[in-house]
Amino acid sequence: MFSLPVLSQVLINGLSLGAIYILVALGFTLLFGIMRVVNFAHGAFAMLGGYALYYLYGVYKVPYPVAILGGALLVATVSLALERLVFRWFYHKMFQSMIALMGLNMALVYTCVMIWDVSERSLPAAAEGILDLGGVLLPADRLVIMGIAIVVLAAFWLFVTHTRHGLAMRAAALDVEIAASQGVNTGFIYKLAFFIAIFMTALAGGLYAQTYALSPFMGERPLMVAFIVVILGGMGSVSGAALGGLLLGFAESFLSTFYGASVSAFVSFGVVIALLVFRPWGLLGKPE
Amino acid sequence: MFGKTKAKAVTFIAAMTLMAGAGAQEQLKIGGIGPLSGGGTAWGLALQRGVQMAIDKVNAEGGLKVGDKTYTPSLVMYDDKYTSAGGRLAADRLVNAENVKFIIGPIGSPSVLAAVGVTTPAKVVVLSNGFSNAILKNDAKAPYNFRALVSTVEFGPPMVKWFREHYPDVKKVALVAPNDAVGQSVVPQLETYYKANGFEVWTELYDRGTKEFTPLMTRMMAQGVDALDLNSNAPGEAALLLKQARQTGFKKPIWQIGGPSVDEIMEIGGPLAEGFVSLNVFDFSEPVAQDFLKTYRAKYGDGVLNAQTPVWYNAAATLFEAMRRAGSTDVTAVRDALEKLDGYETELFGPMHWGGTADYGVAHQMLLKFWMVQVKDGKQASLGALMPEQR
Repeated sequence: MFSLPVLSQVLINGLSLGAIYILVALGFTLLFGIMRVVNFAHGAFAMLGGYALYYLYGVYKVPYPVAILGGALLVATVSLALERLVFRWFYHKMFQSMIALMGLNMALVYTCVMIWDVSERSLPAAAEGILDLGGVLLPADRLVIMGIAIVVLAAFWLFVTHTRHGLAMRAAALDVEIAASQGVNTGFIYKLAFFIAIFMTALAGGLYAQTYALSPFMGERPLMVAFIVVILGGMGSVSGAALGGLLLGFAESFLSTFYGASVSAFVSFGVVIALLVFRPWGLLGKPE
Repeated sequence: MFGKTKAKAVTFIAAMTLMAGAGAQEQLKIGGIGPLSGGGTAWGLALQRGVQMAIDKVNAEGGLKVGDKTYTPSLVMYDDKYTSAGGRLAADRLVNAENVKFIIGPIGSPSVLAAVGVTTPAKVVVLSNGFSNAILKNDAKAPYNFRALVSTVEFGPPMVKWFREHYPDVKKVALVAPNDAVGQSVVPQLETYYKANGFEVWTELYDRGTKEFTPLMTRMMAQGVDALDLNSNAPGEAALLLKQARQTGFKKPIWQIGGPSVDEIMEIGGPLAEGFVSLNVFDFSEPVAQDFLKTYRAKYGDGVLNAQTPVWYNAAATLFEAMRRAGSTDVTAVRDALEKLDGYETELFGPMHWGGTADYGVAHQMLLKFWMVQVKDGKQASLGALMPEQR
């Protein structure tokens, strides 16, 4: 069982899983980090990203790079209306935001049920085939996801560390009043952060739907994954989301392969509970 | 002049008498319970439409003639949301508010078990579908409930034998199933059937809702299994298991003693579903199915036609036949007539039988033939029909 081919496959599976988990968690942690909003509608935005990709790539046959970016942009742009109508009232109101956004999640999901019914749909893969790396197999579609995860993480890191808006976003996250007194247009920065968070969530949702299946209820799992990843990495920490995603991906791959699915779930959640007891701010988060 | 008026009067009186006669046809409410919202909607619609089609047919023939009365059956359908609470509420409303004496459905063990808690004391005949043995095997000996679709206990043994004959090189079969009431009851049953036919079995249970199976598939392949049985997995999960098994490099046979979920597996698995073998409860390519298909398309359009639809049509048609033979709509008389329908030649499935005495202690399990199917060139191809054992 602990042979080199199996261990190599475990490593590749872990990387591929970690990439999906990082993408799913990024938008969630960004909204919390800057606006202190626990986005329970995260899964619904991921699901909308799935439907956007389904139409653009699956139905209208738009070239894949345009479809995946265009779909996420479309969802993020339309969602700005929800930022104005719903989200804006709950910035820095953590508990109220949970309940309100849970309601928003249900409203979005059941609107989609009425429009598209509950059937699971499949999206065509971005790349067919399976790469054989010396006996270790890697599906081409997973390679695409890993590539996109690296590009998105790098682009977001560059934006936050090397641009004026990124600097303003970090300032607003640290102390919104002081940032405003220094001339930062916090209203605009919040809208920008919301737009980027929903863009990344919809992008992740598109990839998630493509990897698994698309339905109005597909957002439940990404929401749970996002929660685990950001608790592991630290709520609001982007580098924490990256670390948490990779850790969860590798842990699930290793434990499920060698000890079974039940042990994997038991240990993963056990670690999260232990972390909440001994280091509630997560691995890379900061204590309040 | 007077003669014309008299003739008109006679015609009028005759017409009124005929209308009064037509009005004398009694209404017969048939209860329907099934999921019309949530994940099981496709199955609930199959039940609703199948039963409605059987009712339409009877009414088009002038009504249901039972003894010296003619009834006009109508369907009173309730949504149980595929839940236990929904099943109980629907049964309660049908029995106590609608005064229904015959119910088709529910679908799914939790809803069926909750519904029969209401219908058995009220002496209401139920033709349902759920895989739990407790639906028929209970202290009350299921006096009024019948199962209209075959479960693992019925289709499992003939299918395992079929696989033994058609895949002689397969020695070890993997059973991967959800870790819940369904998986925990179905996997041990199948394990027994496989071992009785000389197979080795490797089992693994996972949490319901899991979407990522690649680590589990890597684990499975390291066990040296020769075939994967998707058994009791829901259609979406079965499809992902197949897709990810193939993506992890599993090239050996994949089949499913369960489901049926062939359409969903072809939809989600795409070309990776090629060669997949499973059962289906109906074969729409059979000549006998063509009239049924035409009627369905005329009434419900070109949408997806679930294979359970003809099975529920058959359940309602069989119930009507029992009423005709009983010569009455008295519940106990109809129940007794239903029990005596063994060998009855159904319109779509050929002869039906009752079984279940050996497994449940009561012969209330309807035995209908089912079909072995394989995905070939992206389509479902029939490999022939099998009949469950009558025990």
